[in-house]
Amino acid sequence: MSYKSELGRTWWLKNPAFKAYMLREATVLPLVFFILCMLAGIYSLGKGEQAWQSWVVVMGNPLVLTLNALALVASLYHAATFFVLFPRVMPVRLGGQKVPDNLIVIAQWAGVAAVFVLAAWVFWGVL
Amino acid sequence: MKTMEIRIQRYLPEQHSVPQVESYQVPFDDSTSVLDALNHIKEEQDSSLSYRWSCRMAICGSCGFMIDGEPKLGCKVFLRDYAAAGTVLIEPLAHFPVERDLVVDLEQFMQHLDAIQPYIIKDRPNGVTEMRPNKQTPAQLDKYQQFAACINCGLCYSACPQFGLNPEFLGPGALALAHRYNLDSRDEGRAERMPLINSDEGAWSCTFVGYCSEVCPQQVDPAAAVNQAKVLSAQDMVLQLFRRKKG
Repeated sequence: MSYKSELGRTWWLKNPAFKAYMLREATVLPLVFFILCMLAGIYSLGKGEQAWQSWVVVMGNPLVLTLNALALVASLYHAATFFVLFPRVMPVRLGGQKVPDNLIVIAQWAGVAAVFVLAAWVFWGVL
Repeated sequence: MKTMEIRIQRYLPEQHSVPQVESYQVPFDDSTSVLDALNHIKEEQDSSLSYRWSCRMAICGSCGFMIDGEPKLGCKVFLRDYAAAGTVLIEPLAHFPVERDLVVDLEQFMQHLDAIQPYIIKDRPNGVTEMRPNKQTPAQLDKYQQFAACINCGLCYSACPQFGLNPEFLGPGALALAHRYNLDSRDEGRAERMPLINSDEGAWSCTFVGYCSEVCPQQVDPAAAVNQAKVLSAQDMVLQLFRRKKG
């Protein structure tokens, strides 16, 4: 008679690697909040000026600001884990040579920086 | 000589219904591996202890155990690394049924390995094997070589919570080998393997926990292989849709 132990609900608390994995997966939670805020914003924009102004007031609430700041940090953390995994899943070859993993990681962060610069230019007119 | 406490999860089905931890004092120096410690216990202290081992040099893949909760080869881990704590816990590989003490039942893993046909498949018209030379360039070899070093030790299965939750999942080792043969320029068996890789128990059950690659003693990186297989699987499914529409 063989013995088989079952995985309980707290299996992921027993190993640091599993905790890091669950943290990566949990980044979706603050991002859901951010997306709901954004959808509410688009909806208020369609409803008229008054709705839009009250949405802007709600967005200035310290709790909302904190949650959205958390969403930004969470998305950057998720991006950091994803960017490291990307060259392992989609190895890039140029002229028969494998492009080094860290070069692909740097290129992805350069893409993020480009998006930030573009957003700054569009929304704040900086640059 | 210094000694260390080795705690071993024992399971003797004729004596108890659930495993119990027993403690042993083992002399050690800088060159004593966990496997050496187990051999010492079996020879000097308790001959009833059961465990698998063979080569003592991380080639055969027989002596996988959970060592302080991490899947490792007993011959590749040294007691000196646990000397600070003064004790180490050795358990059978996680996610497999335990037969006796540290011996697990690997049948599920063997079935998954068998299912993905881990060998070169050639087109054999009329069942006759053609005697063609299997030439390969260094560039073609480079595509799969990383995934060819697997020693079937099963550590990646003990590192995979998805396999722990669902033993029907083909798992990192079998999927990495399937990918290794799919990438081999001499192989013509991809079409035979894809239905299984595309299935619910195939590559898509992987959620990229990534711990399988961390514990692999041969640096195979099964997580990368499984997720590259997802890319192939997506291509395969799109191609099939296209073919069906055309037909």
